[in-house]
Amino acid sequence: MEQKSKEKILIADDSEMNRSILTDMLEDRYEIIEAEDGLKALAALQRYGTDIDLVLLDIVMPEMGGFQVLEVMNARHWIEDIPVIMISAETATSHVERAYSLGCTDFISRPFDAMVVHRRVVNTILLYAKQKKLVGMVTDQIYEKERQSGLMVDILSHIVEFRNGESAQHVVNVRTLTDLFLGRLVEKTDRYHLTRADISRITTAAALHDVGKIAIPSEIINKPGRLTQEEFAVMKTHSAIGSKMMDDLPRFYQDDPLVKVARDICRWHHERYDGRGYPDGLQGDEIPISAQVVALADVYDALTSERVYKPPFPHEKATGMILNGECGTFNPLLLECLKDLSGSLQQELSSTTNTRVSPTSITNLETEMHRYEELSASERTLHLLEHERMKYSFFAAMSQEIQFEYMTDPPMVTLNTWGAQRLGLKETILDPLQDDNIRSKVGEDMDGLVRALRATTPAQPVVRHDCRIKIGGEVRWFQVVARATWTQDEPPRYAGAIGKAVDIHDSRLRMEELERRATHDALTGLLNHASAKERIRARLDEAPQNCFALAILDLDRFKAANDTYGHIFGDRTLKYLSGRLQESIRVGDIVARVGGDEFLIFLEYKGNLETIVSRIYTSISGGAFEEFPISISMGIAKTDMVGTDYHTLFQAADQALYAVKRSGKGHYHFYDGKMQGAFSAISPIDGGESSDGESDNKGEDLP
Amino acid sequence: MTLQEFYTAIGGDYEGVLGRLMRNEKMVQKFVLKFLNDQSYETLIRAMEEKNYEEAFRAAHTIKGVGQNLGFTKLFSSAGQLSEALRNGFTPEAPALAEEMKADYQQTVEAIRALQETLNA
Repeated sequence: MEQKSKEKILIADDSEMNRSILTDMLEDRYEIIEAEDGLKALAALQRYGTDIDLVLLDIVMPEMGGFQVLEVMNARHWIEDIPVIMISAETATSHVERAYSLGCTDFISRPFDAMVVHRRVVNTILLYAKQKKLVGMVTDQIYEKERQSGLMVDILSHIVEFRNGESAQHVVNVRTLTDLFLGRLVEKTDRYHLTRADISRITTAAALHDVGKIAIPSEIINKPGRLTQEEFAVMKTHSAIGSKMMDDLPRFYQDDPLVKVARDICRWHHERYDGRGYPDGLQGDEIPISAQVVALADVYDALTSERVYKPPFPHEKATGMILNGECGTFNPLLLECLKDLSGSLQQELSSTTNTRVSPTSITNLETEMHRYEELSASERTLHLLEHERMKYSFFAAMSQEIQFEYMTDPPMVTLNTWGAQRLGLKETILDPLQDDNIRSKVGEDMDGLVRALRATTPAQPVVRHDCRIKIGGEVRWFQVVARATWTQDEPPRYAGAIGKAVDIHDSRLRMEELERRATHDALTGLLNHASAKERIRARLDEAPQNCFALAILDLDRFKAANDTYGHIFGDRTLKYLSGRLQESIRVGDIVARVGGDEFLIFLEYKGNLETIVSRIYTSISGGAFEEFPISISMGIAKTDMVGTDYHTLFQAADQALYAVKRSGKGHYHFYDGKMQGAFSAISPIDGGESSDGESDNKGEDLP
Repeated sequence: MTLQEFYTAIGGDYEGVLGRLMRNEKMVQKFVLKFLNDQSYETLIRAMEEKNYEEAFRAAHTIKGVGQNLGFTKLFSSAGQLSEALRNGFTPEAPALAEEMKADYQQTVEAIRALQETLNA
């Protein structure tokens, strides 16, 4: 077997001299980790955890002083497992007192004596090792005792079951149900002042509820048919007998809380809330809550299980019978718990089935358990922890992704080595939200991420957030997947997050490109009709009271140009016109290619529309593209005349354009309401000459 | 120059340091020579120039601690006074104390260099 590795000592001191003096004294016997400031010391503690057997801590250090390190060690409960010896030139009593009150084990003032340091280090490590071992032994013994008493209760209740001829599952189910009902009950009310320990005790004792049946003659217990009046009277004595069995235990045990609870349950698990149960006819909360809960669990399981005299009822029927009072009256609060848990009861019960053992294999159980004796519980836990840590650091080092761990107190972020290199940042950064280096890499996207993390809940702690990160001078898109960490406090506090950032730059650009292609016309780069329509509708819906106008225009004699100079020239002309169109509009206007040589302009205006339209028209019409004279026909419709329905607006502009075409082209015209029913310009009268075969699409808004 | 003579020259406590380092003369010598590599003095001078008194305090404090460990009594004492004068930021007496400490530091470093030469010879 491999020799046990040397104990690790963390030396935190800003002076290299001091560290090397200490290292010289100790390195023969210990493995030394050095940290030149408090922050690096914390990072080492974070990384090695209880692998560090001792910290030698200086008080005055840059970044974070020794006292702050101690405070963090306290907040994170590290101080309980890792001893700290302070070494300092500070000799003021107040410093020494503060060090001790923050949990440091020893204080050595400078100038220190090598022998003394050596001896104190050795002593402290030995002391802690012994303490750890003792804690481990005590934990193991408590664990062992718990296990044994649990086992005894199980054996006892199985004997009862065995004799009762009930299913072996009954006791298990009653325990599970009791646990579930109690858990729900304390969520609803603190009326019964139940602690976690109480619940665990009641659940254990619930197994003993029918122990009194041991004294009932087996002819009665195992009678397949209905019991006679007399037989039932005998049967009913089992609850009083059970409680007497507890009372008859040696005095020493009678004060044991578990025995008290067991007695209550045995005696009163057939009482009912209205006082009509037995043996004592207690009413309401005169019946201890333990017995009330077990009573409900007992009844529910009896209904849903098979008995010699009845088939198992489904959950719904059983719940219905209980709620209707067919099995006696129960505490209304418990009935609510039953209803609340309705969805999960059956699943919870079936999940405990498989973990059960039959009465005949109880002896096997004991031998089974002895197998684990060699490895004690706490040692197992330590092995597991160590294994997990090794696994984590291995994968973190291997993976080509940026991983981080962030804590709010003290504010600190730790990056994996690969991630830190990729970002050009340090592995540990204090106050990351205020850090200029991080800011220069991540910028304002980090604030969004922090907000998203703060907005999580302990139940839903995971967020995905796209961030732009500057890497090697280039800004790239990353997706950060992070899990907020919430404390176990009540209420839970946000304590930081762990996560990773994955480069999604290329796929995101591809998506953006695809999106652009879907919304834009391939030839001219303008919006296509479908997406323009969507945007215009959104604008109209957003502010229907504002003034909008839609212009539809086309290029006069474009078909002739196509025929004369060819389609390639036609395409170039359209591109040229698109350029002029884009230059002529204002920010906020929408320009799009409807199809063929038809375009639309959508604009919002205040004041005189005529001026705006005239300016646009002059800047797009006139002149020539190479040989071909540019002449534009344009029809305009206004929302204050035809309303804000896109379809109507488009039709009106189209009809105005048609009127222009009929009256000689080369000018523009406003829709004036007199053109109702006129022909459409975009029907193939003048321009069927769609250069890219889009004539099918453009018809969708036509009458 | 022997190690003992060196300590006498700088007003140090040879017996003290020998006692603390398990009477290991080689070890004392090693750390004395190593003192030449310590950056705290440069840090102190720079921090004083930049009026970064927090950093200057830490540097003076470090020199005090190292000086104390190595038994450089004179330097330890002047560095100690300087660090106290800077503990809560600038005080009027700090510059004079800094000068005093600089002189002690120079003296110490020169003596170490002389020691080094003897050893190399």
